[in-house]
Amino acid sequence: MTEAEKVFTDVPCTFCGCLCDDIEVEVNDGKIVGIKNGCAICKSRFLKHHENRLEHPSIMKDGEQSSVSLDEAVSKAVEIIASARRLLIYGLSSTENDAHREAYKIAELAGGVVDNTSSVCHGPTILGVQESGEAAGALAEVRNRADLVIYWGSNPLAAHPRHISRYTRVAGEYIKDPKKDRKIWLVDIRKSETARTVDKFIKLQPGTDLEVISSLRALLRGHRLAVDEVGGIPVSELQEAVDAMKNAKYGILFFGLGLTQSKGRFRNIDAAVRLIQDLNSYTKWNMMPMRGHYNVSGANKTSTWQTGYPYAVDFARGYPRYQPGEYTAVDLLARGEVDAMLNIAADPAAHFPKACLKTLSQIPIINIDPKENMTSRLATVNIPVAVAGIECDGAAVRMDGLPLYLHKIIDPPEGVLPDRDVLGMIYKKLEKEVKK
Amino acid sequence: MSRVGVKVTLTSGRTLLQGRTLEEGKLTDAYRDAVSYVELDGATLDALGIEPGSLVEVETIYGSVVVTAKKSRGEEPGIAFMPCGPYANTVTSDDTQETGMPSFKSIEAQVFKADASTISDIEKFVGGNP
Amino acid sequence: MSKDIILKNGIVYDPKNGIDGEVKDICISDGKIVEKVGEKAKVIDVKGKTVLPGGVDMHSHIVGSKLNFGRAMCPEAHRLEKPMMRTKKTRSGVTGIMFSSYTLGYRYSSMGYTTVIEPALPPMKALGTWEELEDIPNLNKALLPMFGNNMVTYHYVKEGDLSGLAGFISWILKATGGWGVKVVNPGGTYAWAYGKNIREPDTEIPQWGITPREVIRSLVMATESLGLPHVVHLHPNNLGRVGNIHTTIEELDAVKDIKGFKGRKQTIHLTHMSFETLDMVEEGKPEWKDVSSGGLAFAKYMNKNKHFTADLGQITFGPAMTMTGDGPFQFTLHQMTKTKWGNIPVDVELPGGAGIVPYNFEMKSPANSIQWTIPLEFALSVDDIWRVVMTTDHPNAGPFTKYPLVLSWLMSKKQRAIWLDKMHKFARERSTLEGIEREWTMYEATISTRAAPAKILGIDSRKGHLGIGADADVSVYSFNPLKTNLAENPDLIVQGFSESALTILSGEVVAKKGVVQKTPHGKVMTLDPQLNDDLAARVASEVEGMITRWYAHSFKNYPAPERYRAHLEERIPLDARSVTA
Ligand SMILES: [Zn+2]
Repeated sequence: MTEAEKVFTDVPCTFCGCLCDDIEVEVNDGKIVGIKNGCAICKSRFLKHHENRLEHPSIMKDGEQSSVSLDEAVSKAVEIIASARRLLIYGLSSTENDAHREAYKIAELAGGVVDNTSSVCHGPTILGVQESGEAAGALAEVRNRADLVIYWGSNPLAAHPRHISRYTRVAGEYIKDPKKDRKIWLVDIRKSETARTVDKFIKLQPGTDLEVISSLRALLRGHRLAVDEVGGIPVSELQEAVDAMKNAKYGILFFGLGLTQSKGRFRNIDAAVRLIQDLNSYTKWNMMPMRGHYNVSGANKTSTWQTGYPYAVDFARGYPRYQPGEYTAVDLLARGEVDAMLNIAADPAAHFPKACLKTLSQIPIINIDPKENMTSRLATVNIPVAVAGIECDGAAVRMDGLPLYLHKIIDPPEGVLPDRDVLGMIYKKLEKEVKK
Repeated sequence: MSRVGVKVTLTSGRTLLQGRTLEEGKLTDAYRDAVSYVELDGATLDALGIEPGSLVEVETIYGSVVVTAKKSRGEEPGIAFMPCGPYANTVTSDDTQETGMPSFKSIEAQVFKADASTISDIEKFVGGNP
Repeated sequence: MSKDIILKNGIVYDPKNGIDGEVKDICISDGKIVEKVGEKAKVIDVKGKTVLPGGVDMHSHIVGSKLNFGRAMCPEAHRLEKPMMRTKKTRSGVTGIMFSSYTLGYRYSSMGYTTVIEPALPPMKALGTWEELEDIPNLNKALLPMFGNNMVTYHYVKEGDLSGLAGFISWILKATGGWGVKVVNPGGTYAWAYGKNIREPDTEIPQWGITPREVIRSLVMATESLGLPHVVHLHPNNLGRVGNIHTTIEELDAVKDIKGFKGRKQTIHLTHMSFETLDMVEEGKPEWKDVSSGGLAFAKYMNKNKHFTADLGQITFGPAMTMTGDGPFQFTLHQMTKTKWGNIPVDVELPGGAGIVPYNFEMKSPANSIQWTIPLEFALSVDDIWRVVMTTDHPNAGPFTKYPLVLSWLMSKKQRAIWLDKMHKFARERSTLEGIEREWTMYEATISTRAAPAKILGIDSRKGHLGIGADADVSVYSFNPLKTNLAENPDLIVQGFSESALTILSGEVVAKKGVVQKTPHGKVMTLDPQLNDDLAARVASEVEGMITRWYAHSFKNYPAPERYRAHLEERIPLDARSVTA
């Protein structure tokens, strides 16, 4: 192996919400040849970023994708948007913030709906927070201070591979020995790989999160439960858990899709928020959603400052309105309410339930993504773009709200632009179209 | 012919391999292999009379899909796990209960030994009529 | 380049230049106020209208993580008033008590404001803040990063290393694009990391063995040694507690002996005094049932002690969104109100520790009615209006859209009487407000909303006045104070200030009769302190060491990158080479 010509340091990895920014990227001859510090997924993301790319802008003709120029693709996209009565703009969580801002402009101009992928990951978290608030945590604070860490309905070893090694099973300023001074628990319905690495695994029956959390709250408030077990967990074990939580100096609850996607959805989060609030009457507790896509937090943030609302925003009346369940992508598609879709950095054809696929196969889709995916197979227009954080710069937001600057490491393939530029072209052309 | 099915609670979630392969490409064989299986415990495999690696049909009221059976490390009777992705989504619900979020976790399902000789064709899902 | 403009025959109030309601022309060229313009200049007749320098708001939460947390947590707050539709010139958005970014800029502009300061920047989140500033049109802006609960600050305070602290302040101002030093509940918010608070200046900060008094003093001394244009901007300990006027006075006393930079008289700014000067009835206990107004007592203190300035944080009524870097106070508020509670971590790296709680101020509430009297009683009893700034700590004590109402209370005894009638009887019994005759004049109102904040922020050479060479930020209102007795017609004050007839930003007409016409960015004013090389080098390496050790992201990724700043920024150099290494 030869020495790399150029090494980029302190590069944020744009896979998951950890945005680990200690990655070293080795570049030779304009190609990424080595990755240091990254997890297996990070290595795959950087080293294989050039594989399976969308090679040209294309338009579907007679069931086949045929290559066109960027201008033609943009014109076709504008034609679709301009003639749509109800446009859905979706995705955004795997691209950088400036692309979001362009997408909102298009949504506003076209009177469409814009939703990001949080509606199918931590949307219920946001709904729970809107019920009762949130004692939010931060990762450095956890590393420096937390003596009790709970992962709930989350499998960090699979989804956030370095979360444990970077933030929890690591020494911090006031936690000198991360094994002795800090305990890590996992609460889940199955014994995942993470279960084997933690200090304590609490297994609950599927769909009982709400009952278990509510029972913990009741026990914390000194109530006695008239049952022997809740969610398959003996009450004595729950009592032990409550005592330990109360006696922690600084506790943190990291929760995953096991809580947001299961029965109860935002009610689970509401209950968890209240449990954490109650615990703050005794000691310090915070909570943090384990955000999946690297910039789903950013998508919520950009949407919030520009429109007031974090996702599920409808511009049909010329100003932003918000209603999850109505203006969320799965609902709109499952009900067949939209007649065109602009999809940016997401793959709804692979990740949405079957009923949505039916609508997806019937409406024109403009798909903007660096790579081929299941949605690109369906799309009426495909426009390849640069990979943010590798081929263009930008900003993204870590799961704890920390904004980070994404670096440009190498040039994108020739003629391939960042999402923001492609969306900007669509906006400009659409503006002319609308004025006509 | 009557079929012997085993009732399970089906859940879906992330795996490391699913993450790695989706970064390579969503249309690769590697990605397909990473998301087209179901993890079952030994007792369930025995009840179905199959070995790990055999094909099974996972059926819910929302649909059914043929995938490869794997033996779960956790040995948890009654729990079936599928990596999130197009195969799992074939059998999940689009009902969001007015939240935007479909039911991706803990769905009642039955698992059968498959009659088919290959896993379901991913292309067909995209067509909307698997 | 925008066209030259002459505003003809307006009634001009320009306190910095001693102009008190004179009929006068104002000439504008190339974004500046000039002596005269040529014949080609656009003539705008403003006869019978009031001409003021553009409004300067020195304390309003218009960007950042707290605000977005509040926005996302409380969507119901966005529909209290009509949203704004997209137009050919403007973007759409929500209004209510927090606004979305574009509509916030538009609304301020249509009220005649041209400069607004965000007073609580968590330094590490500067990048996100700059992204958001990009989307707030029609205003000049600046940011005050928070230093009071930061471990690097504590390190230098503990070492007694004031040069190091000054170096760190410079480093942060450069890295984040800040304008001055904000301190929020020093030590108390830090203690919140373990669920505790610090209420008094001499209580030790956990793990550090230093006290809030030392933190405040050190930051004031460091700021004065650097000669930052704006003095330390203080939110003291013990906020929101009955009887806290004593803590506030003690903390102001604590810096009284510190010499101001080049002999300047004021060395500290006390923000939202309404929350910090709660007194109690004689022989009362520090409980809400015994609360009384400390407004008069505090005015007396201010009249005697010249080393500080203050803004009001006037309570208005109706829904508000409380958001402060004072986490423990916010938790107490949540426990009192049982409403939603959001918290942002204390953290070494996010020296914020903010809390966010929606709050409804009610006139029939004994506590709220007394809180209402405090800043009014204070502002109407203070000798020197140049040290008093009208704010509502938007959106804490109410949104900025309530400023016209606040001015009507200050300018009209009649209006106060009307409102006193709606209040709980304690407003009369436990404050002296009812008996106060004073009514702020237009001149005084102009000082408090323009000239004084500009002076306190250290931007008064260019902002807050209409003298030759000033930035051409101007607001015109359609009322005529020479003909109308405003004090007798408080509704006219409210109406008049709610919509400017004309708002001019950097020489461009940006709003007319409350409608936005143009949407320029405005500038973000930042400081670029130049240290001597030895100090700069020492501090850079020390700060790198501390950030690497304490933070969970890379030191290199701390500063807000140029690409998000350069096009918005007006970077003002500051020669601080005299601070010794
Ligand atoms: Zn404030």
